[in-house]
Amino acid sequence: MAPATLALAAWGIVTGVAMVKGGLPVGVALVFSLVAYAGTAQLATLPLILLHAPWPLVMLTATFISLRFVIFAAGIRGAFVRLPLRQRLASAYFQGDLPFVLFSKRFGTVEHDGNETHWGFYYGAALTCFVVWHVAAVTGILLGSLAPTSWGLDLAAALAIIAVLIPMVTNVPAVVGLIVTSVLAVLTIRVPLRLGLLASIVFGLAAALAVETVLDRRTSPVIHTVETL
Amino acid sequence: MTGVHDVPYLVVTIGCVAAVSFLSRASFAFLPESVKLPPRVQRSLRHAPVCALAAIVAPAIFTEHGASALSVHNYRIWAVLAAGAVFAKTRNMLAMMVVGMVVFTALRLA
Repeated sequence: MAPATLALAAWGIVTGVAMVKGGLPVGVALVFSLVAYAGTAQLATLPLILLHAPWPLVMLTATFISLRFVIFAAGIRGAFVRLPLRQRLASAYFQGDLPFVLFSKRFGTVEHDGNETHWGFYYGAALTCFVVWHVAAVTGILLGSLAPTSWGLDLAAALAIIAVLIPMVTNVPAVVGLIVTSVLAVLTIRVPLRLGLLASIVFGLAAALAVETVLDRRTSPVIHTVETL
Repeated sequence: MTGVHDVPYLVVTIGCVAAVSFLSRASFAFLPESVKLPPRVQRSLRHAPVCALAAIVAPAIFTEHGASALSVHNYRIWAVLAAGAVFAKTRNMLAMMVVGMVVFTALRLA
């Protein structure tokens, strides 16, 4: 847990710095960070907000990035499913990449029989991350304006995103999605309002799913037949 | 005009990011126990963040001033290659960021 929280602190500082170096006033950056609690989505939507891109585009980009939380939510739901709605929502609010990974490593998939051990572990991890993240992000926001642009701290932000990205690229379809999206995003950089960004995501995702479908058909013909029936 | 000076715009966009972030995390907290995520859908959803992050990060590395910058003089590419190698080997985010920034700074000052 300790090395993970250290990395989280670095990531929070970098996100905070990136927001003010990008051009957000300190006050706005603080509100954004404290209200959203969404590191990657914050970094991703920041250039769009600075460009005054249409808000639906900002929302769509945030949605694509947040889709992984739907998987996480499905993954840990078993431990909380018997609790009242308010407690389920509270557990959801503190959800994050790190708590999910730690919880899954420790307990695997919990099937609707969550107990105090699960909840204690989950909130221990999730609240630690919550506090570490906010302290780090606020530190980055307050100190960020002191660092000169030539240091390339925006590169640090890109590296932080890559560290989140690499563990997610675990199979061929993901590699295809990564490459197609990256190439398209670079080629469409001059398209106004970063609409090229959205198009790259859509086409990259389509390419990944197409490759996945083809590979599935080849490796598991029996399962595929059953599914189409 | 940039978005920074448009207060209603900031309220809407920041509100959207916060709402989307919470709703995605709470998605399954709202649903009854019987609703399950089919494995196929789950795997498809897994690719969306990969593509979304790639779309953000690729232009940040491979473009400069609104044009593609695929050259040996683009220090970001070298920094990312070094950092990627470190991360692949150690799985250590902190070491990776340090190496990437050191390579970038060394090339920049060289």
